[in-house]
Amino acid sequence: MGCHRAKIRPTETGAGDLQYASGMSSDLAIDLEHVAKTYGGLFRKKTPALRGIEMRVHRGEVFGLLGPNGAGKSTLVKILMTVIRPSRCSGSMLGGRVGHKPTLGRVGYLPEHHAFPGYLSGAQVIDFFGAMAGVPRRERRRRSDELLELVGMTDWAKRKLRSYSKGMRQRIGIAQALVNNPELILLDEPTDGVDPVGRRDIRDVLQRLKDEGRTVFINSHLLSELEMVCDRVAILVKGVVAQQGTIDELTEGQRGYLIRVAETDDATNLLREALPKTSRQLPPPEADPLAKRAGFRGLLPSGESIEIDRNVLRLGLTEPEQIQPIVDEIRRRAGVIDEIRAIRPSLEDLFMQAVTDPTTGEALTPGAANKSQIAQESGR
Amino acid sequence: MTVAVRQTMAMFLDAYRELAAGKLFWITLALSALVAGAFAAVGIDEDGLSVFWIDLPFPITSSDITPASLYKLLFFQFGLGVWLTWIATVLALVTTASIIPSLVSSGVIDSMIAKPISRTRLFLTRYATGLLFALLQVTLFSLSAFLVIGVRGGEWIWSSFLAVPIVLVFFSYLSAIMAFFGLLTRSTISSLLLTLLVWFMLFIVNVVDNEIIEAHEAAKIRVESQERNLDTALENARLSYIQQQERQGNELPEDYRPTRDEVLTVNVFIPTLERAIERNRESVQDLEPWSRGMFIAKSILPKTGETIGLLDRFVMSEEDATAFLGFIPEDMAETEVDDETGAVRVGIRDSATAVAEVYESRSLVWVVGTSLVFEGFILGICGIIFARRDF
Repeated sequence: MGCHRAKIRPTETGAGDLQYASGMSSDLAIDLEHVAKTYGGLFRKKTPALRGIEMRVHRGEVFGLLGPNGAGKSTLVKILMTVIRPSRCSGSMLGGRVGHKPTLGRVGYLPEHHAFPGYLSGAQVIDFFGAMAGVPRRERRRRSDELLELVGMTDWAKRKLRSYSKGMRQRIGIAQALVNNPELILLDEPTDGVDPVGRRDIRDVLQRLKDEGRTVFINSHLLSELEMVCDRVAILVKGVVAQQGTIDELTEGQRGYLIRVAETDDATNLLREALPKTSRQLPPPEADPLAKRAGFRGLLPSGESIEIDRNVLRLGLTEPEQIQPIVDEIRRRAGVIDEIRAIRPSLEDLFMQAVTDPTTGEALTPGAANKSQIAQESGR
Repeated sequence: MTVAVRQTMAMFLDAYRELAAGKLFWITLALSALVAGAFAAVGIDEDGLSVFWIDLPFPITSSDITPASLYKLLFFQFGLGVWLTWIATVLALVTTASIIPSLVSSGVIDSMIAKPISRTRLFLTRYATGLLFALLQVTLFSLSAFLVIGVRGGEWIWSSFLAVPIVLVFFSYLSAIMAFFGLLTRSTISSLLLTLLVWFMLFIVNVVDNEIIEAHEAAKIRVESQERNLDTALENARLSYIQQQERQGNELPEDYRPTRDEVLTVNVFIPTLERAIERNRESVQDLEPWSRGMFIAKSILPKTGETIGLLDRFVMSEEDATAFLGFIPEDMAETEVDDETGAVRVGIRDSATAVAEVYESRSLVWVVGTSLVFEGFILGICGIIFARRDF
């Protein structure tokens, strides 16, 4: 089971342990190419879940994996953790090929919907999974105390899990994922069922892990949470990576400034007249519901976008100096400026863009592929 | 300590915690202790049997059976043959039925597989933890047997502890079947019921096998008894004929052997006896293919009955067996043949001895070895399924 060793060369590291490291990707904690998974088989209908994932996660960063339900996020995480066998896979994790069991001793994992045994206490859960990860007993004891303190569960350490709330179990889940002092931590929906205070605590834990130089890979639906902690994100849509990069990289070309003037009957005209004379107007595209709402849509002479919606002007300019002439012109025309601010699409905006069908403007249906893609892949 | 040892120890400790968290575990152990205590309460002396100093109205005294033999009989025939083999095994199956379904259930399996342990080792170690309960139970019971026989019977039988590997091997056959169904169905109750069904089928196979062996051995005893009876009848008839001729004044040579017709004039039942022998010989021949077929069929199945029966071979002495058979009323113990019809009533003692000899002729390798091959085959299939499944 596991990925092919394509592009990966074996190297001897400490104690004769054979590991696989890519010379080109030594700074990468996860380097995936062509990861595919199709469920079903001989007697069952084939359903593609992943259709060729390419993804790179750098060491020491917090990486967020987003995607709508059925996009294949959990399948991807489970492939990395050997819980699911890939149909096709080429890539590495911490220098070892994906599926290389000894490498998992350096990885921490919090599965989604975990159900740790209710007969164990919080401390016992941490100890058990520490032993399963190969951590020596003395080390486990020391780490257990530290981690219980870290997740704020010291007082509950000796009580059975069956008496815990969901948020408490999640805290213990995070602690057990860290018991082996992992270089890479994969957290599948870590804030699931956790209250706002708990979420803040988890964010603090993530920040601390990042400060310690560990790589954190988070799969979560809570976009605002991810936006606060992630250095880079990937958006998975229908089994492929639709977008990948830092939030700044992904929003490049979509940043700009917003100028809001006092709401009057003539506000739209005021804003149009404040624009450079050589600005061009564009027809609103049928498929873009946001653009259709705009009173005016066009391009500045330098090519950046303009959008006017009643008393709000959005400019695709990134430097503050660039908007000064327009602000001066609004003032010269006795316009009252209520607000000027830099705008940047939120992670939620990016996510909605990625999961919105550009032809219909509607959210894409769950699943890795549409019917025609399924038929195409089944026919292969 | 290597990582593998650490993981194995953690899984066994976890299995113990899981068992100890269930009430059934403690109930079963308490019942085991109760059964051992009940046996210890039985006493025997020259006045007869007693329970807690209360005399029982059974005509058995220490001159019929020694205290050590009595306790061995109680422990190994009833304690082990009935309590551990049937009741405690069902309780152990119920208690451990969840071992594999709980491993492969959603929310647990992810965390386990995502550790540096191969899937095959993970599955096999988990399976082995399921035997822990049976191990604890039979060890405590064997210890009780050892102490009761030692203290009350005055004989310290170290071979009592042979029950531990024997019962554990016996339980492992059923446990492997349960692991297989647990893996397929992921359901505790389904795997338990299907295992009980398979066990019942194995029981039926054992009963049929036993019936065939008994019928076969009884037919052989009949033939042997009738042959002996016929030989005696012929010899008596010859002597009677010669005496009859001498009485009638007919001179016969000293080494004269009467012909068949002459013999038949003295004993008219001889043809009947011969026909009876022939019928039973046919029975023996008819049963032989069934006996062989059943032996071959059982060779590929786990031999639950014979495995438990190994204790009789290794723990019960000839003296114990004789003492046990001594309880059979004398008129039912011995084989009897009707001189006129040749009808045979096979004695219980003869039959039991012959059947026991057949079972003892089945080698340890056949009894345990082929059963373990079956278990290995089942676990191999489980290993393949577990290693290839997406969770």
